[in-house]
Amino acid sequence: MLSIKNLHASVEGKEILKGINLEIKAGEVHAIMGPNGSGKSTLSQVLAGNDAFEVTGGEVTLNGENLLELETEERAREGIFLAFQYPVEIPGVSNLQFLRTAVNAMRQHKGQGEMNAAEFMKLAKEISKQVDLDPAFLKRGVNEGFSGGEKKRNEIMQALLLQPKLAILDETDSGLDIDALKVVSDGVNALRAEDRAILMVTHYQRLLNHIVPDYVHVLAGGKIIKSGGRELALELEERGYGWLGIKDEDTADSSAN
Amino acid sequence: MKPAPTLSTAFLHPAGQALPEPLLALRKQRGSALVDMPLPTRKTENWKYSSKYLKLTDDMAISLPAEGKTGSSLAVPGYKVAFLNGVMIPEACEYPDLDGISIKSFDDLSDEEAADLADRLDSTLDNKAVQMARLNSARFEDGLLIRLKPEAVLDQPLFIVHEVTAEASGSAFPRIFVDAGRHSQITLVEEYISSGSAQVMVNTVTEFNMADGANITSIRLNMEGENVQHIGSTGVLQQRSSRFESHAVGFGGPLRRHDLQVRLEGEGAECKLNGVVVTQGKQHYDNHTTIEHVAAHCNSEETYRNIAADQSHAIFNGRIHIHQDAQKSNADMNNNNLLLSNGAEIDTKPELEIYADDVKCAHGATIGQLDEISLFYLISRGIGRREANVLLTMAFVNELVEQIPVEAVRETVQGRLSHFFEQTFQEA
Ligand SMILES: Nc1ncnc2c1ncn2[C@@H]1O[C@H](COP(=O)(O)OP(=O)(O)OP(=O)(O)O)[C@@H](O)[C@H]1O
Ligand SMILES: [Mg+2]
Repeated sequence: MLSIKNLHASVEGKEILKGINLEIKAGEVHAIMGPNGSGKSTLSQVLAGNDAFEVTGGEVTLNGENLLELETEERAREGIFLAFQYPVEIPGVSNLQFLRTAVNAMRQHKGQGEMNAAEFMKLAKEISKQVDLDPAFLKRGVNEGFSGGEKKRNEIMQALLLQPKLAILDETDSGLDIDALKVVSDGVNALRAEDRAILMVTHYQRLLNHIVPDYVHVLAGGKIIKSGGRELALELEERGYGWLGIKDEDTADSSAN
Repeated sequence: MKPAPTLSTAFLHPAGQALPEPLLALRKQRGSALVDMPLPTRKTENWKYSSKYLKLTDDMAISLPAEGKTGSSLAVPGYKVAFLNGVMIPEACEYPDLDGISIKSFDDLSDEEAADLADRLDSTLDNKAVQMARLNSARFEDGLLIRLKPEAVLDQPLFIVHEVTAEASGSAFPRIFVDAGRHSQITLVEEYISSGSAQVMVNTVTEFNMADGANITSIRLNMEGENVQHIGSTGVLQQRSSRFESHAVGFGGPLRRHDLQVRLEGEGAECKLNGVVVTQGKQHYDNHTTIEHVAAHCNSEETYRNIAADQSHAIFNGRIHIHQDAQKSNADMNNNNLLLSNGAEIDTKPELEIYADDVKCAHGATIGQLDEISLFYLISRGIGRREANVLLTMAFVNELVEQIPVEAVRETVQGRLSHFFEQTFQEA
């Protein structure tokens, strides 16, 4: 489904991704781990099409189609979804309006009719229950004043509404208490499907107890330096990253957040 | 040195001779005071950005005829008054006889009522600061006097439509005076619209004289066309514990100017002034507000937001004057601006003059652009770029629009704003 070959990307002239290779097939769940600052969010943002990052080399295809040529909104409509590590607060746009606009943009792309306010409200209420968010959150500004955990649940809610082909979850487990972790994991597991792939960025093995990945990759210094099965995550938990021979400069700013 | 240009004498010949004698006399007296009135130039501090758009050529001096059809674009429930080219059109008005409330055209006032009004016209405005209000006082042809007896409450909003029909060049001079007795209450919506395409000027004055405990909500919508220069003034005089709330929403034009002056003269008086301005193309919008804290223990809260696109220009000048005896004043003024293009310009100037020592006075001004990260967040959900821009731009003013207390007006305004922003982002 997703194929990344020798991807290089930089921000403000500084190279962050230094040759990423990754193949993800439909139905698979991949986890990416790695020290702070290693480029995990950069990879996620580049895939979603944030043009603050410049792709300087390599290629990315989604079901054979050149992803890098598509605009951000086109990628979303083709099925790329990114759950942000730091979801953005947008006061003045209600969450409900935001979600409905997004869902209708997708529906329009698929040649389906728009959902009216009442229909959408019904759907939104159902899904907000699924991620354990009070429907009152729909009326508030997008992520406005949401707690860290509420923001993450709102991201999963969006994924459930938009039903992407590839869901990239950037530390959606960070900052969650045990109950919220369960809710979010259940949400992610509900997303699992034969025709859908999931790429999860995480620092914690505990998430992988709830969502069992098919593959685990270690991203360090802008490259994937090791890949393995889920047992790799356990090993990382036990031994840290040192044994993988990551240079000091790559872990210098590492501190779990 | 070239002598400063003065107002053409063509402007000193008002129409509308049906007014009661005391008002005719007042108008004449105001007119003679205008002989040799210097016109604002770019050296006139409070007109420095706007004087070049002010067109007071002789063809503008002609009074637009008070004939034709009028109709509000606001299809909303409430009482209605219609003005056409500055003259009230009784057939288009709809309001019942109301207990303790009198709503009358100036033409219909008795000599006694007119004499009383003549004594009080202009009393809420500082005429030196609002030169163009003086022109209205010399030229109004009709007007609306609203009087609320003590405790009288208007149970529905009163919609006043001011339409100009621009078939040929000329001007209209609508005038409103609201006399709100003790603890009376009214919500008033003024909507300014136009039809036709000749170059015209609308020069308005609205005055609110508020007795103790009176409560007024004023909503002002500027919706005229690209051929209309609008120069409006609003004066508010507030006695003890009165409360004035203003929601001014303005769409740009070749020249839009609004002076809003509030004088907090009785202790415990309170005002809240919200303003939203949007401009695009080469439009120009200039808001000048003044809040005079004369008495102690008064509160003022002011928030204006401007959005300027293309090569347009928006100006906010907010003056707060806290007089020596106005101890325990509380004044808060904010002006936030959104620039949608490199060619647009926004000028913001707070002016604080504080002569009392025990006051709280805060002000803030910001000028920014649409937030890239917010935009990315929206489009990463499949929302089109244009729609995302419209959503974010709308969000910038929505907080103020949502405070408009009349639902039908609020929804209309939201609709018009999104339509305006959709045009703004058409090319994007
Ligand atoms: N907009 C930006 N401007 C400048 N530098 C940036 C920008 N975004 C990311 N970087 C830098 O790129 C590097 C990689 O950052 P990235 O956010 O991808 O790391 P990460 O692996 O997601 O880290 P974490 O585990 O802390 O989330 C860091 O050194 C970071 O400071
Ligand atoms: Mg990150």
